Amino acid sequence: MIKINRSRCIYCGACVGVCPVLALTLKETYVEYDKEKCINCGNCAKACPMKAIDFEK
Amino acid sequence: MKTDYDVIVVGAGPGGSFAAKAAAKGGASVLLIDRRKELGAPVRCGEGLGSHWLEELGLKISPKAISAEISGSVLYSPNLKREVKIQNQETKGYVIDRKVFDKDLAIDAGREGAEVIVKTEVYDVMKEGGKVCGVKAYRMGDKFEATCKVLIAADGGESTVARHAGINSTASLYDTDFGVEYEMVNVECEDLIEIYFSRSAAPRGYVWVFPKGKDVANVGVGIGGLEKGNAIEYLDKFIKSHERFKTAQTVAVKGGLIPVGEPLKDLVADGLMIVGTAAHQVDPIHGGGMALAMEAGGMAGEVAAKCIQEGNVGKQHLIEYDRKWRKKVEPKLMRRLRLRKVLEKLDDDDFNSIFENLSDVDLDSLIKGDYKQVVKKVLVKRPQLLKVLSALL
Repeated sequence: MIKINRSRCIYCGACVGVCPVLALTLKETYVEYDKEKCINCGNCAKACPMKAIDFEK
Repeated sequence: MKTDYDVIVVGAGPGGSFAAKAAAKGGASVLLIDRRKELGAPVRCGEGLGSHWLEELGLKISPKAISAEISGSVLYSPNLKREVKIQNQETKGYVIDRKVFDKDLAIDAGREGAEVIVKTEVYDVMKEGGKVCGVKAYRMGDKFEATCKVLIAADGGESTVARHAGINSTASLYDTDFGVEYEMVNVECEDLIEIYFSRSAAPRGYVWVFPKGKDVANVGVGIGGLEKGNAIEYLDKFIKSHERFKTAQTVAVKGGLIPVGEPLKDLVADGLMIVGTAAHQVDPIHGGGMALAMEAGGMAGEVAAKCIQEGNVGKQHLIEYDRKWRKKVEPKLMRRLRLRKVLEKLDDDDFNSIFENLSDVDLDSLIKGDYKQVVKKVLVKRPQLLKVLSALL
């Protein structure tokens, strides 16, 4: 499970690029998260240059 | 609106617009699609562009798209005891304003005859008998489907179009850098790109100051994906620890991912071409991708138009773009990838020693890819690096 802090996110898409299962979608001003697809790898939280994603196993 | 095109390009960044323009010039009917309502924003780039590219790409930059002219670069050792200025014909360049620049390029594509639509999000790729044949999108919220003979994916680091088409272009943490930058005012700067090497300040990456004016600069940091922490923590620390930024004010935050590994193994599939950051066509040392994307986009657009005219858009025909690109560009990038993989094994003491013992000319050669003489010189002073540096010989 991840939690994206939308007020911290700069919608750069880094998390989308490293998500191996396309569980994240870059919208114009936010990132959409598909919990069903997520495999809990944590790549997105590690990648986020803004530290806007919280990751819980 | 028309729903069938020869070529659909997804992503109106520099690579996509170049591809769209080249394809239209080659006689193809072209649709250029972008997700955003305003091209160029949000910026996710240091915005530096070497001036030699203008001639190589046949590119004209409008004065409005130029923030500052650059005469060269200056590299700092981790202990800041040594600075190396490199100023020559090849280091001349511009720090551009992507918000103006990107839009200008899309305008060029439009003038060449490409149809351009914005605020249109491609969420899937259509296929028929294994061949890519179109896109599914939301255009200003409404469902929109369009078919094409060739789809060009130029959708940047997210690279979702290629992945929807079945090509694995997911960025790995190891081969990707993650960067963030502040555009700041009250930062005194010269007409030089400043690069700070330091494992502690920017592990597996560097800190940069790209001047956008006499007192305005993009100040950023990129770090390797497997390093500890997130880029913003390093950037805030760097800014806090330097007196120079004491009165600096942030007027913009920009960021993104930078693929710094190998380019994709396949740049084409049946009915599909991938260009720019989406294809990981990025310089593994400095992380620059704009010029490489434009170069690849131009090649792809040209080949797409030609293949369409000949009536063959299968992989075995589109591969001409792949071959051309690998012949002209890839060897240089692979050489620089080797250098990246060596540099990432060095610690700050190693860097300090290299800076202390090499002349300005040596460091320039190193950056240009002439490793042999320079490596010998380093090894005389630091023989313990033999194993690491031998990869360059």
